[in-house]
Amino acid sequence: MAVIEVINVEKTYNESQIKVTALKNINLTIEAGEFTAIVGPSGSGKTTLLNLLGGLDKPTSGRIRVGDVWVDTLKGSKLINFRLHHIGFVFQSYNLIPVLSAGENVELIMQLQGVPAAERRKIAYSLLEKVGLADRYKSKPSQLSGGQQQRVAVARALASKPNFILADEPTANLDGKSAENLLQMMELLNKDDGVTFIFSTHDQRVVNRAHRVVVLEDGVIKES
Amino acid sequence: MLISLSWRNIWRNKTRSMIVVAAIAVGLFGGVMAVGILNGWINQRVHDSIYNEIAHVQIHNPEYLLNEETNLYINNTNEILAVTDTMKDVKGVSARIRLFCMAQSDRATTGMVVMGINPTEEEKVSQIYRKIIAGEYVDTTHQIPSIVIGSKAAEVLKLINYRITTEKMDTLLEQKLPEQIVDSVKLLIDKSYRKKSALLKDIKSILSKSNFQKYADRLASVFSEYRLNKSLVLTIQSSNGELHYQLFKVRGIYQTSNSQFDAANAFVDRSVLAKMAGLKPNQVHQVAIICNDMDKAQSVSNELAKLFPTVSVRSWKQTSPEIALYAQFGDFMGLIYVVIILFALAFGIINTMMMSVLERIKELGMLMAIGMNKVKVFIMIMLESVMLSLTGGVVGMGLSAVILAILGHTGIDFSAWSEGFAALGFSSVVYPSIGIIDYIEITVLVVLTGIISSLWPARRALKLNPIEALREE
Ligand SMILES: Nc1ncnc2c1ncn2[C@@H]1O[C@H](COP(=O)(O)OP(=O)(O)O)[C@@H](O)[C@H]1O
Ligand SMILES: [Mg+2]
Repeated sequence: MAVIEVINVEKTYNESQIKVTALKNINLTIEAGEFTAIVGPSGSGKTTLLNLLGGLDKPTSGRIRVGDVWVDTLKGSKLINFRLHHIGFVFQSYNLIPVLSAGENVELIMQLQGVPAAERRKIAYSLLEKVGLADRYKSKPSQLSGGQQQRVAVARALASKPNFILADEPTANLDGKSAENLLQMMELLNKDDGVTFIFSTHDQRVVNRAHRVVVLEDGVIKES
Repeated sequence: MLISLSWRNIWRNKTRSMIVVAAIAVGLFGGVMAVGILNGWINQRVHDSIYNEIAHVQIHNPEYLLNEETNLYINNTNEILAVTDTMKDVKGVSARIRLFCMAQSDRATTGMVVMGINPTEEEKVSQIYRKIIAGEYVDTTHQIPSIVIGSKAAEVLKLINYRITTEKMDTLLEQKLPEQIVDSVKLLIDKSYRKKSALLKDIKSILSKSNFQKYADRLASVFSEYRLNKSLVLTIQSSNGELHYQLFKVRGIYQTSNSQFDAANAFVDRSVLAKMAGLKPNQVHQVAIICNDMDKAQSVSNELAKLFPTVSVRSWKQTSPEIALYAQFGDFMGLIYVVIILFALAFGIINTMMMSVLERIKELGMLMAIGMNKVKVFIMIMLESVMLSLTGGVVGMGLSAVILAILGHTGIDFSAWSEGFAALGFSSVVYPSIGIIDYIEITVLVVLTGIISSLWPARRALKLNPIEALREE
């Protein structure tokens, strides 16, 4: 069974007087172990789609299944708990708490899940090792480069043992070299550990690394 | 980890948090000092009142309380004393004859209450014997009986002369009066006055108006000399209604912190007063009892009331409800003061917490997106607010504890206004004191303030929509 199934989803924003249809007629299936890029120009609906997949927002119509849960029906604390235990998030920026060290940032999500302290520490350390930052456990985010910060964010996302990781333009604030390194590392995690990644981007070099590319244009899937 | 996260969040903006911490510390320091001074005053007032005036328990003939007449004595004094002697909570008992009298000195006349006491009994109940400022306490061995009066009564009866001598200049300097003032009053050396008003008139002509107001009373008290061994004739109404008089010699002057009391109460040997009033040895108007502990007063009083239904038995709380009220509401008043201070400080805390939340909108949005639930967000912000308040609270209370420990020892001297205090029965030197309970109560109030101050900022954080908070501008 696919990890994600999107059926006939439409998303319309009604906030201002003008109605904006951000997504139309979206049908999409994502299997475990995919390394998929959502690609499209700015304003094409990438963030909107990822937010729906991550249970941060609700579709105007249509259905979204993650694992065996219909996320469009989840509400309140059930929804927050679902995000905590099933989805890993990497945002474009503001991923890390500046007063916590890299290691503590990774630990934080496990603490929210109720993992005991000793175990948290061990896992956080091994995850930082995995993203190549074993020696930066005690470093504050401000002491890390942008690329390193995004690696910590990936480690943090992995720490919750999610079904998949959603990364919304994770490389947007990085230089070419750092972006390259981050993608390499993500690909390695996908290959070695079978971590499912769904990331959005409008950077062609990043797109080239994807195993599958979903192209969005004006809220419609053009190619997948 | 939530605690350590909250703690570190507080110190993100060091200056801002330090200002709030300092404001709370200073505010609480003021509050604690106010509570301490109030407590000190009240404790002293209650203590003085009990040990100089009202004792813990008083027994009277109930009719005497309505109409203080000589023949309204207690009928069963011996039975009562037999019982009180065996009560283990009773420390001292004094049987007193208590009469209204006219007192006439060579220069003036006044009305006052004369107490006939047995000095040995009385010393276990009242501390007047320790408040003698001139002469001696009631001595029963003199040919012409002794009377001990208060300093205020001595003033009224004109039993004070004011003499200005060279030695007294040294006393003034010892008392830390400015040299310039002492030099000025040296003009008056070798003068003596019978009336305070005459002395004050001369001092006024020497000193500037402000110095006069500041120092006149202290000068007068140093220059004053009690005219001991002068005669005082007391006139009383005896038990059969006739007027009797008797000559006493003023051999002692006492002074308590309550000048009203000092004006109105004199002490003489009970047997002398009994003879004068035509009372038998067991016929007294008042039995005053001191217990081992203030808290035992009520139970002792209740027990005696049950045993002796024909007399009036009152604990100090009933004898002097206003003193009981002081004791009861002192802490309460102090806490009200602290509550008001904390209420004002709460606005500062709310403001700081609100700024701190608004600065962290993206971060809080991220936390909520990855799965931090509302309860935890709320707890985090509340912890920040509570820890911020508590830091200020601990600093403020620590500071107060140190200063109070010092001042509780040395006392705070309010003698510049001492006349006013004495008229109200308060001493001019206050030993501020504050109990552990007060600190606990204040800590609870500080924590509560922290919690309440976090409600509004926390509400703001909880209203965040994570995707809006995270959206790039
Ligand atoms: N909260 C919102 N209110 C109104 N319109 C929105 C909102 N979020 C996104 N949109 C609109 O939806 C469309 C898709 O936006 P978005 O998903 O952010 O695109 P992308 O991430 O590909 O740049 C855009 O036209 C955008 O203006
Ligand atoms: Mg976007």
